[in-house]
Amino acid sequence: MTMRRVVLALIVLGLLAGGPAGAQAPLAKVKLGVLKLTSSAVLFLGVEKGYFKEFGVDPELVYFQAAQPIAVALASGDIPVGATGLTAGLYNIVVGGVRIWIVADKGREWPNHNLTALVVRKDLYDAGARSMRDLKGKKIGVTQIGSTFHYNVGRYLEKDGLAAGDVELVPLQALPALNDALTARRVDAVATAEPFVSRLEASGVGVTIVQTGDTFPWQIATVMYSDAFAKNRVLAVAFMKGYVKSSRHYHDAVLARQSGPAFDEVVAITAKHTGASPDLIRKGFPYQDRDGRLMPGDVARQIAWWHAQKLVKTPLAEKDIVDESFLREALRAQP
Amino acid sequence: MSRPAASARAHLLVRREHPVARIAGLIGLFVLWELLTRTGWVPPLFLPSPLAVLGSGIEMLRSGELITHVVTSLERIALGFGLGALAGIAVGLGVGVFSVLDAIGTPVIAATFPVPKIALLPLLILWLGIGEASKVAVITLGVFFPMAINTYTGVRHADPLLIRAAVSFGAGRWSLIRKVMLPSALPMVFAGLKLGAGTSLLLLVAAEMIAASSGIGFLVLNAQNLMETTKLMVGIVLLSLLGLASHWLLTRLERVAIPWKADA
Repeated sequence: MTMRRVVLALIVLGLLAGGPAGAQAPLAKVKLGVLKLTSSAVLFLGVEKGYFKEFGVDPELVYFQAAQPIAVALASGDIPVGATGLTAGLYNIVVGGVRIWIVADKGREWPNHNLTALVVRKDLYDAGARSMRDLKGKKIGVTQIGSTFHYNVGRYLEKDGLAAGDVELVPLQALPALNDALTARRVDAVATAEPFVSRLEASGVGVTIVQTGDTFPWQIATVMYSDAFAKNRVLAVAFMKGYVKSSRHYHDAVLARQSGPAFDEVVAITAKHTGASPDLIRKGFPYQDRDGRLMPGDVARQIAWWHAQKLVKTPLAEKDIVDESFLREALRAQP
Repeated sequence: MSRPAASARAHLLVRREHPVARIAGLIGLFVLWELLTRTGWVPPLFLPSPLAVLGSGIEMLRSGELITHVVTSLERIALGFGLGALAGIAVGLGVGVFSVLDAIGTPVIAATFPVPKIALLPLLILWLGIGEASKVAVITLGVFFPMAINTYTGVRHADPLLIRAAVSFGAGRWSLIRKVMLPSALPMVFAGLKLGAGTSLLLLVAAEMIAASSGIGFLVLNAQNLMETTKLMVGIVLLSLLGLASHWLLTRLERVAIPWKADA
């Protein structure tokens, strides 16, 4: 493993020393853990357009089913780079003594960008349920305790001046199970994400009462490095250079415009990797910073919240888990 | 050259108990585990030390969290195991005693028995919902089959000599079942109960990992989601203790119910 890393570093060094002519040098393979969702579009784009290869990195996409396994794979060293949501489990890995580094933005809850939402059962909506206050004492389905959805519900409650104990959280493990539970009336509302939100509304089972991005913007997903990869400075910065290029393309083609051939190209690339229908993909592109910068102070805010909920034992300092130096170095190279 | 006396070789026939070695083995395992984690080779995230697990367990006991999980799980097991065992014994007896029921029941049981009960869990959730009913039902099913099959085998293997003797002494059908068939099936019934206890623990954890918010299975899954490895180990230790306790309890019960099998 280490031997391979050393060889990779040498290859990249050689590539940089060789200058532009180094394009023929072998590429450094890097496993990249992602979810098979629209929110991974920026990474699919970088792979398909060859932005990473321009800087000597050849990412090999590894698909995961949920955010937590990506964090575990980063901790165990199975993958050097991962891109997914920030969970209490991730913070606990670092509390437990294994380093993982949050290095760049990969998706924010942002006004006018639908990503996650709270969907309440239609009959309760018809009876007047419009806010968390109306859901006091009700059952709210989430994927897991400690997930981004759990965080969402906690923040919805705070926004309405309520406490965590004012609703009953029901962990159902997977997003499809949330839809089933709401349809079967086993829960009163679900904290879920696109495309499941659209499906619930289309089938008349539920009505969205909170769009997370409109209520409180936050840094929901990031790019993360394993500690070993972060120590391989040259390769880690090279990956970030490709990511910045891809992120800018994504921002200009998708977020700045909402249609056109450049937009359609990203939709097609995303459809190829996720197998989802283009119509669903169009609705589900999350917002992220053009340069991949993290929302300042948001990771610290999240850790403080989880710590207050007693789900993260020790309050981590942001410097122990966030390292934007790779991004800054990449941005200096391509202003 | 004379062979040693028979008494000198008699020790070969005795299987000694070695109580010290028994305990030393367990303690050795814990000491080795603790040392391994102290060296720092394995990060505590992947393997927490036994003392940390113990500390976490005590803390959870104080906060009442542990009691809630254990009580919820025990309720599910007690209900599922009880229902499954009763139904299994009843069906096993019926099929074993009456030839018509044998003709109907044996193929049905043979066809449904091999299905892994965990595979039925999604179906049970569809039918009974994500609440208590589906969890209890899957345990009931898991316990029912070994109980029914063992009871049936026990009844069928009742000593024909005893049956003939009872009949010639004027025993009726009911009396035959109660006084000959059931007692001779008891060792098999208890073997079934022990098998069922193991199965019910397995199914309990599986059921609690889908849509539960309390119970030991939930504790383990939730600890995994939150990457709280120490709590996860507490859950695993609890399951191990639960398995030991149920086996001990059933062995005790067996000695009371089958005094003639005291050597077992």
